[in-house]
Amino acid sequence: MNPRAVTASFKQQAIQFMADPQWIIPSIVSPFLFTMVMLYIHQDVTGPVVLQAVLGGGVLGMWANTIFASSFTISYDRMNGTFESMLLSPTKIFDILIGRSIWNAFIGLVNALLVFAIAEMIFRTGVSLANPIGFFFILALTLMSLASFGMLISTAFVFSRMGRFFSSVAEYPIYVISGALVPISALPVGLQHISYLLAPSWGVDAMRYAAFEGYGSMMGTSLLTDIIMMVMLSIAVLIIAYFIMNKAERAILSAGSATRY
Amino acid sequence: MFAYADSLQVIAASAKNSFINRFTSMHPALWLIQLLITSFFAMYFFVILSEYIGNPEITVAFVVIGNAVQSVAATTLYSVAEIPGVEKHTGTLGAIIQSPSSLFSVFLGMSAFGILTGIVAMLMSLCYAAFVFGVSFASCNFVSVGVILVLTCLSLTGFGMIIGSVGIRLRTAAIMANVFAYIGLLISGVNFPVSYLPGWVQTISHCMPLTYAVEAMRGAVAGAGLISILGPLSAMVLLGTAFIILAWVSFRYFEKASRRNGNTDSF
Repeated sequence: MNPRAVTASFKQQAIQFMADPQWIIPSIVSPFLFTMVMLYIHQDVTGPVVLQAVLGGGVLGMWANTIFASSFTISYDRMNGTFESMLLSPTKIFDILIGRSIWNAFIGLVNALLVFAIAEMIFRTGVSLANPIGFFFILALTLMSLASFGMLISTAFVFSRMGRFFSSVAEYPIYVISGALVPISALPVGLQHISYLLAPSWGVDAMRYAAFEGYGSMMGTSLLTDIIMMVMLSIAVLIIAYFIMNKAERAILSAGSATRY
Repeated sequence: MFAYADSLQVIAASAKNSFINRFTSMHPALWLIQLLITSFFAMYFFVILSEYIGNPEITVAFVVIGNAVQSVAATTLYSVAEIPGVEKHTGTLGAIIQSPSSLFSVFLGMSAFGILTGIVAMLMSLCYAAFVFGVSFASCNFVSVGVILVLTCLSLTGFGMIIGSVGIRLRTAAIMANVFAYIGLLISGVNFPVSYLPGWVQTISHCMPLTYAVEAMRGAVAGAGLISILGPLSAMVLLGTAFIILAWVSFRYFEKASRRNGNTDSF
């Protein structure tokens, strides 16, 4: 990994975001509405379901940001004609995307906090976290796991502009299997197995440990197991993304097909 | 010449272009798979959410039918509203404004793809409702369903065009489109009765065609004929007509303002 390239791409992504920050809104709207829908169906703004709805909305906000930011990051390069320059530079695309993904993860955190804050302002639930420091530590780790997943999504866009297909198709299924609003234990067994393969699902379970007093895991595991699983799966996803990205980069360079659709 | 440019021919040519554009950037098979997956999971997400909460007033059939209608908003409204913004971003809006055709005619034609997407999405969602979620269509009035389907798409097209016209002036209308495409989940009785909402939100809800579409569709699936659901259908026709007229006015305004100020390509 090239730390200078990672830092530079992080900075560049930050500048681009600041130039047009309105794009954070779509990633907030749908998760926030889902939280509101859950609370209206529940018809009660007290009890653990409220914290779950607010917490879940925040996690969905992070997911939405990861999916869309990861897809836009290469799409815009393709649209603006800078993708070819990236390929021709001696820096690996993987390094550039790491910097961008870290920035996107940071914005995901802002996104989540905004959903928490708006939900709290409207419903005045007065929810409190059982272990606030642990919660924010796990939240940061979950964000990193989302960043690694974002890297994997980005690989699709290196291959083809039709990568957009994957990001639009992935949105709702991921909302379902992430266990953010509805616990994984409430899903059919087949979907539960898929959930176990997603690092952020373990992160959500760990966050609930830190948020709820006397929480009974939806995975049937301890807090430590959740954290270990999240870290291991994130590393595995990152390694897979690295190999796919390198393969795609080599294939495009040897075939000269970067601008071919 | 202007009359000619404003003719159905412009609308037809734009409609044809909208299909060519979309299917060039995404293969029709992928487009269909995308609709199949998103329609299913958007519905399934709210089904498991309502089952998990366990409110006895909200049945699976209630949520499924509501989300089948909402699928039109999420597809038609968004894809129609984003058209001017996309043209602006790709640098072709200036050329369209310079042509003798009116922007309204061009973008009305280009909405054809969004309308088709909405129709396909709702039909898929209704199939899921019947074959996956076990909603009974035994007493369904299919004529009413067909009329609701067409009216929903047309009224949301008008609404989407109003939002899209703002994209001529702003950097993009996609943000607004995103908000309005999803707001129906909350205020149009898609996932829970409108009566759960505060009074002032219910007033806004009754200005949205989606609210009437959801109400009419639930009636049609239960067997209501066109006469029985005349109230919501009339509201949809009225709102749809008003939206189309407002869209025309809005496009004329932004088109003239853009020519006068020479800021078509400004962001």
